[in-house]
Amino acid sequence: MTDENQENSSLGVERLSIQPEKPAEIVKIDILLNAVGNSPIMKQRKWTVDWMKDISWVSKFIHKYLKLDSEDKLFLYINQTFAPSPDQILKNLYECYGSQNKLSLHYSISPAWG
Amino acid sequence: MANDREVLKVVWEGKIPAKFVIDSNDNDEVYYLNLPRISYFALCTDKVKKHFQRHIEKEDDIWFSYMDVPLKFHIPIGVIYDLLVSDNSLPWQINVHFNKFPEDILFKFPNKDVIESHFLSCLKEADFLKHKGQVICQLQKKDHKQLFLGLQNDKFDQFWAVNRRLMETTEQENGFKNLPLRCYTDDGYSYLQKLITPLTEKGQKKTLKDLLVEFSTPAKKPVGAKTHGIEVPLETELQWLSETLSYPDNFLHLCLIYE
Repeated sequence: MTDENQENSSLGVERLSIQPEKPAEIVKIDILLNAVGNSPIMKQRKWTVDWMKDISWVSKFIHKYLKLDSEDKLFLYINQTFAPSPDQILKNLYECYGSQNKLSLHYSISPAWG
Repeated sequence: MANDREVLKVVWEGKIPAKFVIDSNDNDEVYYLNLPRISYFALCTDKVKKHFQRHIEKEDDIWFSYMDVPLKFHIPIGVIYDLLVSDNSLPWQINVHFNKFPEDILFKFPNKDVIESHFLSCLKEADFLKHKGQVICQLQKKDHKQLFLGLQNDKFDQFWAVNRRLMETTEQENGFKNLPLRCYTDDGYSYLQKLITPLTEKGQKKTLKDLLVEFSTPAKKPVGAKTHGIEVPLETELQWLSETLSYPDNFLHLCLIYE
């Protein structure tokens, strides 16, 4: 995980759609992590990640970054509306709810939306 | 519409006879259950657990597997069967386990509240795709409850009294904004999700054939799709599919068939 901006990201996406049979090529997107309510804020909001990672991976990452206790709960939301399933991959969320190489997620230490 | 109601009813009533076998050397006890295709394994653990209770040495989390593949608690049962059971053999033989919970693959659903909130989240996502989330937010908490209880207690009328509002479109819309759907590739549980409109740019109704093109890659071209145990005719309109053959979570779950 790096915070550098992905170069030629749109090219990466395009290449994948032409040659998806070569999984060796990792596509990266930027995820923006926004704190909700009184959840602790992450100093660095934007992270460049492999889009094949899933929501449970993102959740574990935030957990670790914020040094939360293992029993502390963390809720992740898309469009401030719904909580994606832990095994949902970022690629699918990006295809539906992201744009310009970015996917915005909200996190909360208590249930926020539904 | 009268005919469509019959289709909704047939989809609702789809069942898979299953034979649960405990994963233990010293007994060959079995338990048979008719599993609703539209339900979740998370909602049938209590019955199975109760049956095998006396064989459990210590209280631990129950989980199921078929041919060594753990069965996900939060994917509709019918989808899992269509994905994993290639020879359509019945009854579906499912192994029951009470230890070594595979935490890297399965998420725990310790009570019904967890699966209820997962189910509602799916509905919210689906409505976000269909109506920008405007219909579900008009529903009250009791309506949300009614949807889940309708599913849990197998009450078709109770469920559809609310669900029909989520499936409505206006004349001028001529369909949903986008269709909530998941296309399972032939790689375990993995699926693809994209923004798919019900109409082409020219305003014509898209069919399953059009959808398969959108999910084609040079390496992998789907030639068909299966849902609720049936292969869907290629000329079926996507909007109709979404309104009629979606699972209760309001998503179409299509298992892609490759050559």
